[in-house]
Amino acid sequence: MIDIPKDEELSPSDRWQRCVGALQRELPPQQFNSWIKPLRLEVNPEGEHRLLVPNRFVLQWVRERYLPMIESLLKENAGQELELILVVNETAAPPNPPPSLADAIDKTDNTIKVATLPNMAQDHHAVYERTRLNTAFTFETLVTGRSNDLARAAAQQVALNPGTSYNPLFVYGGVGLGKTHLVHALGNEVWRQNNRKIIRYVHAHDYIADLVRAYQQKAFDRFKQYYCSLDVLIIDDIQFLGGNKERTQEEFFFAFNTLIEAKKQIVITCDTYPKDIQGLENRLISRFDWGLTVQIEPPELEMRVAILKKKAEVTGVPLGDDVAFLIAKNLRSNVRELEGALNRVIAFAGFHSRDMSIEVAREALKDVIGAHNRQITLELIQKFVADYYKIKVAEMYSQRRTRAVARPRQVAMWLARELTPHSLPEIGDAFGGRDHTTVLHACRTITDLRGKDGQLNNDVHVLLQSIKG
Amino acid sequence: MSQLLLDLKMEQPPTLDNFVSGANAELISRLRGLTDRGSFDAVYLWGASGCGKSHLLAATIAAARRPSLLLAGEATGTEIAIAPGMLLAVDDVHELGEAAQVALFRTFNAARLAGLAILLAGHEPPARLKLREDLRTRIGQTLVYEVKPLSDDEKSAALKRHALLRGMKVDEGLVRYLLSRGRRDLNSLMGVLDSLDRATLELKRPATLPLLKEVMQLQFDTDDESRSV
Repeated sequence: MIDIPKDEELSPSDRWQRCVGALQRELPPQQFNSWIKPLRLEVNPEGEHRLLVPNRFVLQWVRERYLPMIESLLKENAGQELELILVVNETAAPPNPPPSLADAIDKTDNTIKVATLPNMAQDHHAVYERTRLNTAFTFETLVTGRSNDLARAAAQQVALNPGTSYNPLFVYGGVGLGKTHLVHALGNEVWRQNNRKIIRYVHAHDYIADLVRAYQQKAFDRFKQYYCSLDVLIIDDIQFLGGNKERTQEEFFFAFNTLIEAKKQIVITCDTYPKDIQGLENRLISRFDWGLTVQIEPPELEMRVAILKKKAEVTGVPLGDDVAFLIAKNLRSNVRELEGALNRVIAFAGFHSRDMSIEVAREALKDVIGAHNRQITLELIQKFVADYYKIKVAEMYSQRRTRAVARPRQVAMWLARELTPHSLPEIGDAFGGRDHTTVLHACRTITDLRGKDGQLNNDVHVLLQSIKG
Repeated sequence: MSQLLLDLKMEQPPTLDNFVSGANAELISRLRGLTDRGSFDAVYLWGASGCGKSHLLAATIAAARRPSLLLAGEATGTEIAIAPGMLLAVDDVHELGEAAQVALFRTFNAARLAGLAILLAGHEPPARLKLREDLRTRIGQTLVYEVKPLSDDEKSAALKRHALLRGMKVDEGLVRYLLSRGRRDLNSLMGVLDSLDRATLELKRPATLPLLKEVMQLQFDTDDESRSV
């Protein structure tokens, strides 16, 4: 516990300096310099205590991690309850970031540059401040198809009647299928209906980190109180709770029960069905089944196309059906990579000042899926060639020189030179310790024969295609 | 008796300007954008070993006009110390350990709120990375660029420029020989030129084809020995 002498006569500025001094003693220098040092206390004529922070990011960080500690220090110092209001004031930031920012960074790396803190003020919507919701994720921007229509309907129902329809709502499905989008949309809709609701989106990792921090800062009651005061708790990727300490699960169990009993809504996402979550207590798993469990499946082709078209529309880029189909056919497993591929095609077209044609998309997608860049090794080439000519792989490095094995060996050497970064001596070495001039001769022979021997040219073509994948 | 040499290195620090861009102009332009504090992009670049990924990461970090941090995949720990508005670069993501993968996953989740730009590099396209699925798909959501290898003409130009910077005189035939006999990646080829330069100074012989052959043979024998150990 930090001990601060009370002194009613101190000015607010002195009280703040004492509080800062105490925090400096209490916190690691890196944390102090990054988050506390840039703060300024201001008391306006109405007696309001305003803590000026350089930007919204620092505001959020301080509010979540240090506010209880600061309030308690000021209270002890002033001898009375004080309500602190956090206010973004860009002039509160020092012209350069505190030295500790550099301390937080690996000092062994001399390439590091330290610049001023960015102005983040314009980047976050006020809604996000309170709820941690992403305002871009709404039901309007969520593409619906067979794979997610049930989950969407359930989420919309819950958004209309939080706490009463399905509680908890448990959404599960593979990675990158839009679970997070769906639950953000739910939260945003609740907010739209009633902006007095206290909603909080939290990733399970951050929930655990908050809990640990609450212990460390002896603010555990405040942590409990906060989570139990919510109207809607949205917790993402609950599987991360599995394998955590019993105490973490115990606390979540407590918060879960309190909220459910108070008819407050809980929304959970997970990468698997409740019973398959590893390392989670049975009493929690069975409670997840109390409400409604819905699955999101991988989107089918038509839905993937619809998703791409929707995303392009939001970006303001015209996207033809042919291009959308090409991307959707190549990226099958999840929405996230689909979006990445679309962004890549848009970036490519933009940089080269070209229209979003099918050729442009093909070109850009090569980077994303690496169609022609399987990890090609000398062994792989030897195996492909031996299989193709129906000879043993051992013939690739044997000393036999009959045409039946010598020609395939030469083809393999030529392919090795074309498709791998190896030098001639390295290739020779891999083919039974042959001299580099033998490899050079093989390469020249095959280059020469490709122009004269149609069969051989076809063999080489087929092998090239199949090895490249 | 050979001439003893002072251990003076001519190596230039990696910059975006001294990277021979070839077919990678779009990528270089994107990386220049990342150095600006107004960019919140996430970029993943991949390519075979020796294609210049590490050069590009170090060069981008060096050019950054914002807080920045460069980590090696293998050496990344359980926490990544991010600062608001930072450019974070992680090289060799395929070498991230289990805990480091979680750390990078969390960084991805915090990126929007913290105004980060992220630059990652690995040896394969995202679909083939053997990482946690939640991290792998997040990498797949970034702007993905393959670092394209240079054509022989581009390599030839780059080698001549490299030789010129070292004050070496190399003729066309020597470069052609090196390109047709040596490894295909520019790093190795420049390494051979460096060895040739040292040999010319030590042996007080001009940079000729016979000397290049000796150097390449010596290098191959040395590599061969280290491979067989």
